[in-house]
Amino acid sequence: MKKTIGTAFAVALAGAIALLGSTAANAADPVKIGFSESKTGLFAQAATSQYQSYNLWREQVNAAGGLDIAGAKRKVEFVSYDDQSNPGKAVQIYEKLITDDKVDLLLAPWGTSLHLAIAGVIERYKFPVVGNTAASVQLRKLKAGNIWFPTSLFPDRQSDVLAALLKDRGVATAALVTNQLPYTQENKSFVVPALKKAGIELVINEDYPPNVKDLTAVLTKVKNAKPDAVLAYTYPADAVLYMNGAREVGLDQKVQVVLLGPQYDFFGKIFGAARNGILTMGHWTPARKDWPSAKAFADAFKARWKTDPDFLDAPLAYVSVEILQQAVAKAGLDKDKLRKIIAGTTFATINGPVKFEGVMNVALPTMISQIQGGTQHIVWPAKERTAEAIAKPAWK
Amino acid sequence: MVDLFSGQLLIAALVLAAIYGLVALGLNLIYGTMRLLNVAHGEILMLGGYLAYWTFTLTGVGPVWSMFLALVLAGAFGAAVYRTLCRRVLKSSRLIEQIEANSLLLLFGVSIILQNVIALSFTATARAYPYLDDIVRIGSFQVTMDRLVVLGIGLAICFAAILFFRVSSTGLQIRALIQQSDAALLVGVDVERMRLISFSLGFAIAGVAGCLISMLEQVSPFMGFPFTIAAFVVIILGGLGNLAGGLAGALVLAAIEVYGVALTTTSMRSILIYGVFIAVLVWRPQGLFGGRSMVR
Repeated sequence: MKKTIGTAFAVALAGAIALLGSTAANAADPVKIGFSESKTGLFAQAATSQYQSYNLWREQVNAAGGLDIAGAKRKVEFVSYDDQSNPGKAVQIYEKLITDDKVDLLLAPWGTSLHLAIAGVIERYKFPVVGNTAASVQLRKLKAGNIWFPTSLFPDRQSDVLAALLKDRGVATAALVTNQLPYTQENKSFVVPALKKAGIELVINEDYPPNVKDLTAVLTKVKNAKPDAVLAYTYPADAVLYMNGAREVGLDQKVQVVLLGPQYDFFGKIFGAARNGILTMGHWTPARKDWPSAKAFADAFKARWKTDPDFLDAPLAYVSVEILQQAVAKAGLDKDKLRKIIAGTTFATINGPVKFEGVMNVALPTMISQIQGGTQHIVWPAKERTAEAIAKPAWK
Repeated sequence: MVDLFSGQLLIAALVLAAIYGLVALGLNLIYGTMRLLNVAHGEILMLGGYLAYWTFTLTGVGPVWSMFLALVLAGAFGAAVYRTLCRRVLKSSRLIEQIEANSLLLLFGVSIILQNVIALSFTATARAYPYLDDIVRIGSFQVTMDRLVVLGIGLAICFAAILFFRVSSTGLQIRALIQQSDAALLVGVDVERMRLISFSLGFAIAGVAGCLISMLEQVSPFMGFPFTIAAFVVIILGGLGNLAGGLAGALVLAAIEVYGVALTTTSMRSILIYGVFIAVLVWRPQGLFGGRSMVR
């Protein structure tokens, strides 16, 4: 009998130790955060800075002792897979991350099409995700509750704001050349009526295919039409063609808009001072004094990756993890609490305050930026600007 | 209305033609001598672009000089790929169709591996550097110096290559191999050696092309594929395996791209290019500048 009691006690003690040990291990286990990366395929080039921001954040959080989860700190561990820039693949990956890897939190994939693709999966599993690098009016149709978008670069609003700026700069006529890819085409579909509404006549309106290798002919047409402003709705690769072509042809318009390209580090490396005065899209700059962490982010990014962050995706990706970090600190890992906190809190980020209504961030106005002195400044609307818009200097 | 006789359009067309001609030359050489469809051609160009970028960034040495390094390294890489992979395809395939199909699959794999190795090594971030980007005024038009340099070097290499294949003993042996490989073997041409030289030369020219193109556009792991496509269009226009025809094909493609757009709209570019491409395939499969025989 004595022996039996002794054995039972030993077993109970061992069990208790094992249980305590396991609880202690769980608390010390890293928090698993999953996402899909476009490491290869069409989006790979554009998606890099998102991945860099995610990793910068992970390293910063771990260096500070870990992620604050409702008071308890745990190191961050990423679980990520290459989606090959394929929305179908991204859907499979998010399903696997939730059901198989059983990650604690999710980060967003890159680009509008992948955000739209995973919306169904995260809705099915009620798994909240803060989006980032997506900006299409289609996103507003998504059901609010498990996905949110911090950006304000939605093509309809952006077009209205740009038309107002052009009007303010005294533009009466404009030429528009547009890449046939989706984001630039969506912008075109809104800017054409916005210009008309603002009383700006469109004297040239031509599209070009994404694989174009020379824009001399169309830019010669633009030069001959003598518009007050040129709107080049480019992707980064053809933004280079525009700049080279505009310099050679001698487009001397004081207002020149290049939609996608000037925001990226490589663009500054090629064109240096020649890009000064180019207007572009963007709602972030390290020059905003009332966003003190913006400059710190830019410096940390440069120190870590030896390259300046772009002015679009890198800050947006970082904003999304800042939101998640602040939400988790309050809500822990409980999905329902997390959802409520994200939907109902105002977050402090490197891009100023973020406050969601539905899927949209209502705290950040749509803005237009301009390259000045080698950096990107917000120049419109007036109350948001970090510098006044300047007339584009002559090409050097 | 755009002045079709403007120097601005002419120089744009010539620069494009020089780029297309250079890129297509290496591809055509490899196809002509061995019937290997090198779909990794654009990736060799991409490697040349990265070499120029890193050489300039780390040492300040410009692509006009690093292209010699690219010539040697890409040539050596070509020799390695030929000896380890492509020679096996040539040996194991009995029919030309088999060689084409097998090499297409094999080199497609090589292209994907190269893209991803570079993406993993340097990230997929686009990279660029400023080099000879001052504007030069020539008569009534302006052009950036880097485009003039690309035009000059591109044309020089193309014409040097044509001269090489018309005058030198090695060049003549390679041409013999292109025109009649069985007959070349019978008259004592060292087929294996000529194939190795052709393959290396094809890669070397692609590496140099990448160096030059890196002056004009950003470098990224995925920059090569559009050039591979353009090179295939050029050699179909000029005639598969017809080296001089390929240069003429490059001029036609560039002219369509610049003058076709000037006459119509930019959105017509792809329709015009691929319209001509399909028309040539249907009505002149030997190429615009080929004779009755497929290979010149």
